[in-house]
Amino acid sequence: MDMWRKKLAHWVRYLALAPVLLLNGCSTSHFWLFDPKGPMANADLYYMVIDVAVMLTIVGITTLMIIWFLWRYRKSRGKGTYDPKWSHSNAIEVVVWGIPIIAVAFLSYYAIEGTYALNPYDPTVIKEHTVAGDDPLEVDVITTDWRWLFIYPKYHIASVNELVVPAHTPVYFRLTSSSVVNDFFIPQLVGMIDVMPGMRTKSALLANHVGEYQGFSADYSGAGFSWMQFRTKVVSAEQFQQWTQQIQASPRQLSYAAFNEFAKPYIDVSGKPEYFSGVQDGLFDHVLGEVMNGKVWPLPMAMTENMVDYMKEQNARTSTRTSN
Amino acid sequence: MLVDLQGPWSPLLGRLALSQIPYENHILAPLFVVVVILGLAIIAAISYFGKWGYLWREWLTTVDHKKIGIMYILIGLVMLFRGFMDALMIRTQQAMAVGPDAPGYLGALHGYLAPYHFGQIYSAHGVIMILLAATPLLVGIMNVIVPLQIGARDMAYPYLNALGLWVTAAAAALVMVSLFVGDFSHNGWFGIAPIFELSYSPGVGVDYWMWVMQLTALGSTLGSINILATVVKMRAPGMTWLRLPIFTWAAVASNIIALTSFPALTVALALIGFDRYLGTHFFTAGLGGNLMLYTNLFWIWGHPEVYFVILPAFGMISEIIPTFSEKPLFGYVTMVLATFGIAGASWAVWLHHFFTMGAGPAVNSFFSVATMLVGIPTGVKVFNWAFTMYRGRLRFETAMLWAVGAVFLLLLGGLTGMMLAIPAINYMVHNSVFVIAHFHQMLLVIVYAIFGAVTYWWPKVFGFKLNEAWGKAVFWLFTAGSVLVFVPMFTLGFMGMTRRLDYVFNTQWQPLLDIQVLGIAVYSLSVLAFVGMLYVSIRDHAKNQVSVDAWGTARSLEWMTPSPVPFYNFAVVPHINARDEWAWRKEHGFTDLRPDHYEDIHMPKNTGIPLILGALMFLLGFGLTWRIWWLCALSLALIIALVIIRSFDSDTGYTIPADEVERMERGHHERARAVDLPAAGVLGGAIAYGQADPAVKGQGAALGGGMTSPEGSRV
Amino acid sequence: MSSSTSKAIDPSSVELWDHSHHHHDVLSTRTFGFWLYMLSDAMIFALLFAAWGVLSYSHSFAGGPIPADFVKPGYAFLQTLALFGSVLAYGFTMVALKNGNKAGVISGLWGALILGAAFLALDINDVVHLLDAGITPQRSGGLSAFFILTQTHALHILFGLLWMLVMLVQVSRFGFTTEVVGRMLTLRLFWHFQAVIWVFVFVFVYLRGMLI
Ligand code: HEA
Ligand code: HEA
Ligand code: CUA
Ligand SMILES: [Cu+2]
Repeated sequence: MDMWRKKLAHWVRYLALAPVLLLNGCSTSHFWLFDPKGPMANADLYYMVIDVAVMLTIVGITTLMIIWFLWRYRKSRGKGTYDPKWSHSNAIEVVVWGIPIIAVAFLSYYAIEGTYALNPYDPTVIKEHTVAGDDPLEVDVITTDWRWLFIYPKYHIASVNELVVPAHTPVYFRLTSSSVVNDFFIPQLVGMIDVMPGMRTKSALLANHVGEYQGFSADYSGAGFSWMQFRTKVVSAEQFQQWTQQIQASPRQLSYAAFNEFAKPYIDVSGKPEYFSGVQDGLFDHVLGEVMNGKVWPLPMAMTENMVDYMKEQNARTSTRTSN
Repeated sequence: MLVDLQGPWSPLLGRLALSQIPYENHILAPLFVVVVILGLAIIAAISYFGKWGYLWREWLTTVDHKKIGIMYILIGLVMLFRGFMDALMIRTQQAMAVGPDAPGYLGALHGYLAPYHFGQIYSAHGVIMILLAATPLLVGIMNVIVPLQIGARDMAYPYLNALGLWVTAAAAALVMVSLFVGDFSHNGWFGIAPIFELSYSPGVGVDYWMWVMQLTALGSTLGSINILATVVKMRAPGMTWLRLPIFTWAAVASNIIALTSFPALTVALALIGFDRYLGTHFFTAGLGGNLMLYTNLFWIWGHPEVYFVILPAFGMISEIIPTFSEKPLFGYVTMVLATFGIAGASWAVWLHHFFTMGAGPAVNSFFSVATMLVGIPTGVKVFNWAFTMYRGRLRFETAMLWAVGAVFLLLLGGLTGMMLAIPAINYMVHNSVFVIAHFHQMLLVIVYAIFGAVTYWWPKVFGFKLNEAWGKAVFWLFTAGSVLVFVPMFTLGFMGMTRRLDYVFNTQWQPLLDIQVLGIAVYSLSVLAFVGMLYVSIRDHAKNQVSVDAWGTARSLEWMTPSPVPFYNFAVVPHINARDEWAWRKEHGFTDLRPDHYEDIHMPKNTGIPLILGALMFLLGFGLTWRIWWLCALSLALIIALVIIRSFDSDTGYTIPADEVERMERGHHERARAVDLPAAGVLGGAIAYGQADPAVKGQGAALGGGMTSPEGSRV
Repeated sequence: MSSSTSKAIDPSSVELWDHSHHHHDVLSTRTFGFWLYMLSDAMIFALLFAAWGVLSYSHSFAGGPIPADFVKPGYAFLQTLALFGSVLAYGFTMVALKNGNKAGVISGLWGALILGAAFLALDINDVVHLLDAGITPQRSGGLSAFFILTQTHALHILFGLLWMLVMLVQVSRFGFTTEVVGRMLTLRLFWHFQAVIWVFVFVFVYLRGMLI
């Protein structure tokens, strides 16, 4: 099953998408969606290929048929016979209802299969790849206006705008927001999941290839939204251990009080990563609870206006904040 | 007040202050001056030509469904243009703001639009295009055509019809005012919980958005009641359900959707209003609010809404294709079934707009399959159109080009819709420009159908045809623009680009963004061609006069009335004998449209009250947006008072005596004979199935000359 | 099936124009439209009930007062009596209307109006007491839904009362013209409809509220 799936994916991927690729005249690497680096994104592509293959067949044939009719029955010089009364045929009715019904039934099977395979709360494609005794990594994700905070509870560390994960290890996420809704998305690794205030969603990924991948928020969240990106570094297990130790030595601590400061609206144009050690136990749940109890970090009116002026003001403000 | 506002508030002006008028904005200020000058010029011109009385009597106070329809279409076209200007800004901003090195102008870091400004533009674009361009255009065409197709003299409730128009106009006015006074909302056409809460959107933008949407909801609800009651209650004798023209069927299905789904929008918006004005907690993240409730409520309306707009478009395609295939529609009954299949299914799919919200796999699977089911009846429609053309005699006049173009767009939009409908795929492309490209294919189906319908029915309404050569130029330019904008957009979707980016972080996307700018340029040419087409057609209108059956091969009842249609539609209501009555009459030679005797006609009287109510609704919306409480109270009180006063007016109609009707009808004949028109169409392929019968032909020719009035419809 | 056949048809046997002098029935057209309006109004209430359903879990009250603390089904039953009394009075009005009894219609309308006003007064009294006790729509999402749902119904009642006042004037001024009779009929629909909605409010808010 798995072999077949892989083969099919490879085969059809290039066939079905060839025309699109020609448009840009280069490899798949620009096409994040066609260049998956882990089983989650890979399965997404697999289902896309199946769906496109089925639909393109039907739609393609229909298109050709219509073009043929347009040509053959044109009034000026068309060769077709004109039958001004013909407006019904049981045989055709059966076909035009039948084909879509069969196609939808076929696609529904794969749609349901895929929904379970890629259920972000419990994706079977990752379970398939998990070796017994494997220790998954847990990461808590909090979005603020407008930054990403990745907390590694086991290591009591946190990073901002940078997600570092070991390759070949399942990573399980819990996500929430301190302000508005965002969408967690790393095109080459895992599809989107909403990140909502006062609520907790889950997602998971497994990365097969060491490298750096773009992650970003896919759901509009306000003025700083377009800059709300994070680098996803997939590293080897040893490198990951080194990294955690390095961050654990970082001088900045993250208690809820510090988070309260951190969560104030901030347009993070530079996207510079920041690191925290000594992250308060249960910070994620604490933030979630506070937001459920009505805590908000409201937006100052000034942020709705001229951006350059605002950035100047913000930079002045935050430089005093970090220096004390 | 119940909620704490950022910024000042005064009893007299509410939140409004002079600083809210963006006079130092480099784009808006000059635009404002231009608009003011244009407005003054129009007012001056009307005064100079002494047309105020005419305008008031014939248009502003009219209850004639055709004139109301024309005004809807005018609003729609103007708003389409405004929406296009927004699209122009979206496309140029994104092409200019690629990568951290992109320069910034006018207070933006990159490009020339700061984030909030950009957010307002696409939000306004979405709202305007769907609710104030596509919807009024469709409603306008339904308004003009549906009563004619069922042989009615007017709508069931002409007064309500006028009210619906002016409420829509109020919404359009409010969205235009938001351009110059204060801001519009920045959180998308569908609103995003909880960004629209006061803590995250402290300005008036969301309030503008809310009241604009609320007014359109009111207008659409009134309109849908009217059309449904008209079709159910006002059909000519003999017009059984299975003889209804297919466009009328589409109007029925579509308005059932509107009537039952718009309340969801009303509720969703009202609850936002309570949150923002009273400080309640419906959609807040904390204190027991539930922001997912909003998302559900909105899409319970939002998804049916897209079928509300596509079904009339399907109906138009279903009228145009048979006419230019010179053949009846293939599979009428299945077409009706498919229409209702789509309408019914549209209720059970709303969750596909937020598959990524983390609902369980069972829920997502259910909505996925339900969504795909819609593809079945839609496919049936496509095939039925194809088989209508099969064994036809296809003429590629402009209207037909638009209709066929729409079918191809539908295929591409459907293919991509079926991709989005599968959660596994959706997780990768949700909120991406792939979605944008999908729904623009679909919404362009509507635009194409509208352009087709306007070309097709124009001669019925105005008595002359639009220029074909210019019309085809508009078609090809518009199509080229669509390809250049939206094909790269699909590609960008596969590359991972998401929507609503005011700053584009990946420089690899630049070339495709540049192609889109080219597309926008070609689109601009199509707008010029459109204006050119109108100019040339109106200039040459005397040469392009038409008779009753402008295309010669049309089949339904509206083609039995004089072109332009007199204000009473039918001097004597026809008795319906067949589906495609006019084709049936042509086939059997009953083309003499003069009944043996005339009778009194009862018509509704003009009234200015709907216009005033519309103006008051605008003031109410404006007052609520700016929290000018005295203005709200005053306009609300006046609205209620006016409604009551109107209910005391029992003198709402008048009667035209039979001999007067006869005189007017004879007037049509005589004047038209004097013009000596070519008997357009009727001589051509007029005979229903091409079985030329010389006797009938002669009769048709006389008739073609006889029924056209070159002047306005009112005598 | 094609739409027509080319069999020759005898022109004298077909009816091409309608001379049946049919006039469409103003009253039934009007009533039909009103039903359509009520359908959309019913959708509004359905969605408000849905919102109440979503926002009436115990956590929706954010630790504040919950309905079990403050709903008084007995009191709401009084309101029910007032409203149903008003509907009954309106029923008598319609009987009088059928008999062309103007005085009967006017006194019936007064009865309906007064009982309806009593309902509204009870409602306002209730709301004022709740607000005094700090039970406000601003306190929690659950309370927001409670207030908006019940008061949307009350607002409908208010408009019904206003309409009755207008009808009182119109009946005494114009008598039983088609328009007036039409309005009396639609007002009846409206009033019954609001009573039905109230039943739902009573059951799902006041009775079920005791259990939340
Ligand atoms: C019916 C609906 C409709 C229509 C027709 C269009 C038409 C177009 N839209 Fe729009 N669009 C939306 C509805 C529509 N759109 C919605 C709902 C959104 C989502 C908003 C959101 O995110 O919240 C959106 C978003 C959207 C974006 C997304 C921005 C983003 O999120 O990244 C873009 C970007 O390019 C875009 C572009 C265009 C373009 C180029 C057209 C072109 O096709 C326009 C072509 C039109 C013309 C060329 C004008 C022709 C006019 C005339 C002929 C009349 C002339 C009349 C006079 C002069 C009086 N649209
Ligand atoms: C007129 C408007 C219109 C129409 C008709 C449609 C039609 C369809 N839409 Fe689209 N859609 C929109 C307007 C429209 N949509 C808009 C505005 C949005 C986004 C709003 C926003 O986010 O701002 C959207 C978003 C949207 C989404 C959510 C995307 C996301 O945000 O993640 C989805 C997902 O399922 C979807 C699916 C579909 C499907 C399956 C159809 C189907 O009805 C298509 C059916 C047609 C065919 C399938 C082709 C013809 C059929 C055949 C040739 C027969 C063979 C067919 C089969 C075998 C099935 N649409
Ligand atoms: Cu959706 Cu929380
Ligand atoms: Cu949808």
